[in-house]
Amino acid sequence: MFKNYIKIAWRNLRRQPFFTFLNTFGLAIGMAGGILISLYIHSELNFDTMFKDADRIYRINADVKFGGSEQEFAEVSAPMAETVKEDYPYIELVTRFRNNGSILIRKKNASLNVKENGVAYADSTFFNMFGISLLYGDSKTALTEPNTLILTKTAAEKHFDSSNAVGKTLILDNEQTYTVTGIIEDMPENSFLRNHGVFMAMAGYQDSREGGWGNHNYPTFIKLRPNAKADDFQEYLNTVLGAYVIPWAQDFFPGITEEQFIEAGNHLRYDTIALTDIHLYSDRSSELSANGSIQNVYILSVIALFLIVLASVNFMNLSTAISLKRAKEIGIRKTLGSNKTGLVSQFLTESALISFISLLFSVIIATLVLPLFNDLAGTSITIPFNYPYFWILLFLSALLLGIFSGFYPAFFMSKFVPVKVLKGSGNSAVGGSGVRNSLVVVQFTISIFLMVSTLIVFQQLKFIQNKDLGFSRDQVLVIEDVYSAGDQALSFKEEVQKLGSVKSASMSNFLPTPSSRSDASFFKEGLKDQEHAVNMQNWQVDHEYINTVGLEIIAGRDFNPQFIADSTAIVLNESAIKILGVTAEEALGMRLSSDIELENPTFSTVIGVVKNFHFTSLKDDIRALSLSLGRNSDVMVVKLQAGKFSESIAQIESIWNDIAPEAPFTYYFMDESFNNTYQSEQRLGRIFMTFTILSIIIACLGLFGLATFNAERRIKEIGIRKVLGASVGQITYKLSIDFLRLVGIAILVSLPLGWYAMAKWLESFSYRIEINIWVFVIATLLAIVISILTVSFQSIKAAMANPTKSLRTE
Amino acid sequence: MLLQLNKVSKWVQSGGQKVYLLKNIDLWVHEGDFISIMGPSGSGKSTLLNVIGMLDSFDEGEYTFLEDPVHTLKEKHRSNLYKQYIGFVFQSYHLIDELTVKENLEMPLLYKKYGGSERKALVADMLDRFNIVGKKDLFPAQLSGGQQQLVGIARALIANPKLILADEPTGNLNSKQGEEIMEIFSGLNKEGVTIIQVTHSEKNTSYGSRIINLLDGGIV
Repeated sequence: MFKNYIKIAWRNLRRQPFFTFLNTFGLAIGMAGGILISLYIHSELNFDTMFKDADRIYRINADVKFGGSEQEFAEVSAPMAETVKEDYPYIELVTRFRNNGSILIRKKNASLNVKENGVAYADSTFFNMFGISLLYGDSKTALTEPNTLILTKTAAEKHFDSSNAVGKTLILDNEQTYTVTGIIEDMPENSFLRNHGVFMAMAGYQDSREGGWGNHNYPTFIKLRPNAKADDFQEYLNTVLGAYVIPWAQDFFPGITEEQFIEAGNHLRYDTIALTDIHLYSDRSSELSANGSIQNVYILSVIALFLIVLASVNFMNLSTAISLKRAKEIGIRKTLGSNKTGLVSQFLTESALISFISLLFSVIIATLVLPLFNDLAGTSITIPFNYPYFWILLFLSALLLGIFSGFYPAFFMSKFVPVKVLKGSGNSAVGGSGVRNSLVVVQFTISIFLMVSTLIVFQQLKFIQNKDLGFSRDQVLVIEDVYSAGDQALSFKEEVQKLGSVKSASMSNFLPTPSSRSDASFFKEGLKDQEHAVNMQNWQVDHEYINTVGLEIIAGRDFNPQFIADSTAIVLNESAIKILGVTAEEALGMRLSSDIELENPTFSTVIGVVKNFHFTSLKDDIRALSLSLGRNSDVMVVKLQAGKFSESIAQIESIWNDIAPEAPFTYYFMDESFNNTYQSEQRLGRIFMTFTILSIIIACLGLFGLATFNAERRIKEIGIRKVLGASVGQITYKLSIDFLRLVGIAILVSLPLGWYAMAKWLESFSYRIEINIWVFVIATLLAIVISILTVSFQSIKAAMANPTKSLRTE
Repeated sequence: MLLQLNKVSKWVQSGGQKVYLLKNIDLWVHEGDFISIMGPSGSGKSTLLNVIGMLDSFDEGEYTFLEDPVHTLKEKHRSNLYKQYIGFVFQSYHLIDELTVKENLEMPLLYKKYGGSERKALVADMLDRFNIVGKKDLFPAQLSGGQQQLVGIARALIANPKLILADEPTGNLNSKQGEEIMEIFSGLNKEGVTIIQVTHSEKNTSYGSRIINLLDGGIV
């Protein structure tokens, strides 16, 4: 019996290649999208689960509000690790990191430096904490001594011929000598350490032993003993402020108590987050690597669901539509003794068969577009062909989808009354158009919703890109690692400034683009208490900085090389003076210090106020900032004359090669790096667009199929109308208008939904667009145009047909 | 007694009025009967046949088939009953286009859960009996009308029914093909199969033993 079902299903599919194609193609596209998104979500959900005891590892976070600024850190102070380990018996291990950003590395006798981007200090407990075993070296001693480091395999192979580099010597940043004590496997792609290749021994980092409770610079991980509860540890953490931080602060704020601290509206709260939750749920300052977000996972899940629903709806629609052609078969089967159950199982078998065929195609499609998808989503997903669970899951899903999609058509068809369908009153006997119409409405609702979302995401992205950020990022070249020129850095700057194509050049450690930076507490002269503290960032810049970056001074003046006293001058931004509670003019001449720990602090005089500019993501408000003079040379910012960029860059490079031949010359344009800030949004935009197009294609396949069916079904009616004198235009209109009405309903349903969902999404941006009515107009017009194009082809074809043919066949 | 209709009526509501399709039909059919139902278009011939075949319901009256009161049976029992005892032959043959001759013949057996070897044997018997062995792998579209109707009859007979219901079995055939089909019916009847046919043709009624004339849903 089953064989008979399969046989007839197969022959049916072959007899109607057009519908079979629409059905399987639609399903395959939907499934391929579903597979890719599911793999993506699976990888997102399994971040950091590969580490040993991952379920017992937590990171300590700090929420700080002090000096008018509020921040959430993924890091805590240096003493935290030792303190909790000593106080809290249920902690098995603690490990701290200290991110060091990038570093220049060369072999002992090599002359050329190589840049290493993921560099961090790590405690020697690193290996036990995360269950990392060494390929070479001894984990007991590997990170215990100062000036030792371990490398990942890839990092080691970059510098040495073989990956076994234990015992070899490396020079870091041209000055420190380090010995390689271990080699580890590369960190997994879906781990928080994926970008790190070099770990230096924390033992050699002085601040890790001496640092106080005021700065939050150390990502700190704890491993609880089995059965210990994070909630209990939280209770302990709540006591740390009173027991350690306040006593430490009393050195600078004599007599301060926890009550006073809190009464002043400040807070310092510690809590923990499970290691495996970090990737999706943590969005704090100074994360060790860029995290995903659970919101994106939700959005993508919904999109995947949409795609599958669309494809499945297609299937239902087409199956019930063409069931007209099978009415006779059903009638015969019933008179020959098939009962309803038999028919239902026959049609379910058929839909499962189609589902499996589509699955085959979808795996092929998914494999082919995987590289594109990875590019789109910024991931490195692979299809786990060797993983039996994957296939089992895939087949189960296909079976489920087949049954789900086939359910309605199966019951619909099994209800045919044999007497009617065999008599040939076929058309009216089939019916079910109400359900088909609602399904079309569902499809177009989803498509238009996605269309509206895509338009709004792109508008917001464009808004961000074009927003006046308060500084100029066009024609601004950023040259990295200028410090590697050592004493020559300054002369490099001077040489570059002399170039005709260069407007100005400035050296600094600070760029007006987002990166992780911490605040310092400032206080006014004579007002050294916590209530008057002002927390702000302090950027050390040179005389050319404000000019080169294009900041606007709204009061006072820029730093001036003529004034020697400017070495203790300070320039604030608008957010800073707002916390100080003064106007720009009043701020001038104010004396501030950040030497909160010293008896005799050095004060800086406010000489100018700059207009607020966006140095963090537009998702956040602009924070308080101060600029002061200093000699930093991480990067050099060069403002170029318009045009001739490549020529200017070549000139600058040749100057560099003369001055620092051993160091690599690397640069980028600031607007590029700015765009990277919104990578995740741009990704979302591209993903939205791709899947919107897919969903529209699927919906149109369905609509096209229905239009074809409808034209076929009404072929006699069309013939009669034509004989009676109807024009091609009138008939086309008659055939198309029914579908357009459905699209109209879909528009009415989807627009408010789209508006609501996107208003919610926009809320995550501090600076955002207003949703424009035009978005809806465009989406509406697009939907109508696309559906007219889809439907009218069949309608016109039917309307042009010679009526004598259609009438004769009756 | 094979079946008995007792004051069976069937109607539809049209504009607030009952329009009778069948009106007070009393009918006895004994095993071995060969009955022809005649009447003008719209007189209710096919409806009566469908009611007898349990494909259609009726609104009033009683229908007893082999002691079973059909009017009180549930759908499932009814379908088991006709599955077991009744074979259908249609004017337009109603073979399944996607299946070959052999597979079409096999289908009723599948629904009756015959085993594989038994099915094969029965299909081979039928192909033999109707001289269509050479056509067994052809699809219906590759056969002439008369051949298709042969397959239709073979399919109706394959599960050895007590009763064959034929709705204008020769309506789509030319006279020669029609005669052949009627000869086959006549032969079957002699072997003991009960046959009820709907027909327009006086000639066809001559093969039968009894004629029932219908007019406006009632027997005249």
